[in-house]
Amino acid sequence: MERMTERTFTHSVKVDIPKCIGCVACMKACPTKAIRIREKKAFINYDRCIDCGECLRVCPHNAIVPLTTLFSDLDQFKFKIALPSPVFYTQFGPDVMPNEVLAILKELGFDHVYDEALVCEMISVATEEYLDENKSPRPMISPICPVVVRLIQRLFPSLCKNILPLEPPREIAAKNLRAEVAKQYKIKSEDIGIIHITPCSAKMVSINHPESMAKSHLDGAISIREVYNKVMMKLKRNTHMLMMQTQTRISGIGLGWSIEGGEIRGMKYTNSVSVSGLLDTIRILEDVESGRLKNIEYLECLICPDGCIGGPLTVENRFVAKSNVLRLIRHFGGKKRVNSDLVKKLYRENFFSFKRAVEPKSFPPLDRNRNVAIQKLKHKEDLINELPGIDCGVCGAPDCRTLAEDVVRGDAKLEDCIYKSKE
Amino acid sequence: MDSLRTGTKSESLLKQEFNITGGDFVNAGESSIKIRNTLRDIGIDSDIIRRIAIAAYEAEMNVVMYAERGIMRIDVYRDKILLAIDDKGPGIQDLDLAMQPGYSTATEEMREMGFGAGMGLPNIKKNADTFKITSEVGKGTKLEIRILLDGKND
Repeated sequence: MERMTERTFTHSVKVDIPKCIGCVACMKACPTKAIRIREKKAFINYDRCIDCGECLRVCPHNAIVPLTTLFSDLDQFKFKIALPSPVFYTQFGPDVMPNEVLAILKELGFDHVYDEALVCEMISVATEEYLDENKSPRPMISPICPVVVRLIQRLFPSLCKNILPLEPPREIAAKNLRAEVAKQYKIKSEDIGIIHITPCSAKMVSINHPESMAKSHLDGAISIREVYNKVMMKLKRNTHMLMMQTQTRISGIGLGWSIEGGEIRGMKYTNSVSVSGLLDTIRILEDVESGRLKNIEYLECLICPDGCIGGPLTVENRFVAKSNVLRLIRHFGGKKRVNSDLVKKLYRENFFSFKRAVEPKSFPPLDRNRNVAIQKLKHKEDLINELPGIDCGVCGAPDCRTLAEDVVRGDAKLEDCIYKSKE
Repeated sequence: MDSLRTGTKSESLLKQEFNITGGDFVNAGESSIKIRNTLRDIGIDSDIIRRIAIAAYEAEMNVVMYAERGIMRIDVYRDKILLAIDDKGPGIQDLDLAMQPGYSTATEEMREMGFGAGMGLPNIKKNADTFKITSEVGKGTKLEIRILLDGKND
């Protein structure tokens, strides 16, 4: 039952306190310096967390737990719909086709399944329409990775207006599905549970606390890890799978969205750039903020290495998964499957649009009063010079600079540094 | 109480200085990132930070591309931020021409690297509230810009 209350939380991971031994792995890996070790346990400051999942990846003790929907949570919905990320298809080896995976999901208890790839292709058309109509600012930045959106809000707040204000495929697919399914099966839309099958826990946060609308169209996100064994078991046992024709129109273009570069590959705006991985994303956003990439039309940023196939909740290693995607893309071809005119009509009806703009959420300054903040900044610089600068992490902060900042903010003491306490 | 003092001579509350080495493309842009972090720490509005970051980056690149070396100074006042860049270098022959968008004396190699679009100085000016440039051929260039703060954080 604890799980149910956690679902309303604003974050995607938590520390499993008994398992945590207070090593510095997660604290060192955190890009926004949101983690401290206090009394031999990791502590996450959720105001700084962007849900990237780096802590989840590096923890050697499995003490960082993703807060995603559990299979057992599904029973609360009368009509369950699975909406897998295209990454899901790449997890089960080279010969498994999307249709098989979708059919198995139905066998596992979903009443309906839907492939997102076609919607990815629709969004490509909508994106070009937006870029045609809006010539500034540049570059526009892809909104599909929820971590990138949160990173921009916190570390690059002035770039919030560069985020393409169109909902990502999972949201558009869910929006459309709920209306269609309610009509088709004559059920109340609130009885429908639309569950994303996700390679990352950040999707859960974007569902619980969306940044661009009041309420998400999705009802939950199950991790690929959670469903993996069940699907694998079925695949191994049913050698002659009944090929249910759940959907034959898989979009090769849309499948490509699971790897870096997929979103921009077919774009007519060829002056677009794709980036993946946390550090490279931060670097390129720094360049955008300095105004040096104004000549670029569109920027696809995915926080996980090589794109969503590198998500922390995947099972297959990302290189094999990438090979599997490329094989699927070859199989389904690069032929456009969507009716562009229809998409353009929907675009004009604002079907894809954000309901509200993504707002900056800058980290708080050292002090609200600017004069005090300046004094604290000077104090911080002095402390940095005083500290050994070896970033050992024993004090419970990831590096000496951060300890200095914690001290001036009143969250730590200089004596927390073992070198200073020895003096 | 600072704000009760009369007169226009306010004091610099915070001063930072950065050395820039001509020709060092590898480390170019570092100073503007440091300036940005400093301004975040003291709670400057994100749009103002961006304007300063753009101006600082362009100014830094000008030194890297054309001058021998330079110093960038930033001063935070109660009501404004001053950014000054002082370089030792060839100076600018014709300031009016240099201020024209698209005019550039960048070499072919620099253009290959994506620099020298002739937007540097105009872009700095666009992001500044006041813009002052003086140059002496064979000696160097001094650039000083001011960006006004709304003062709401006082």
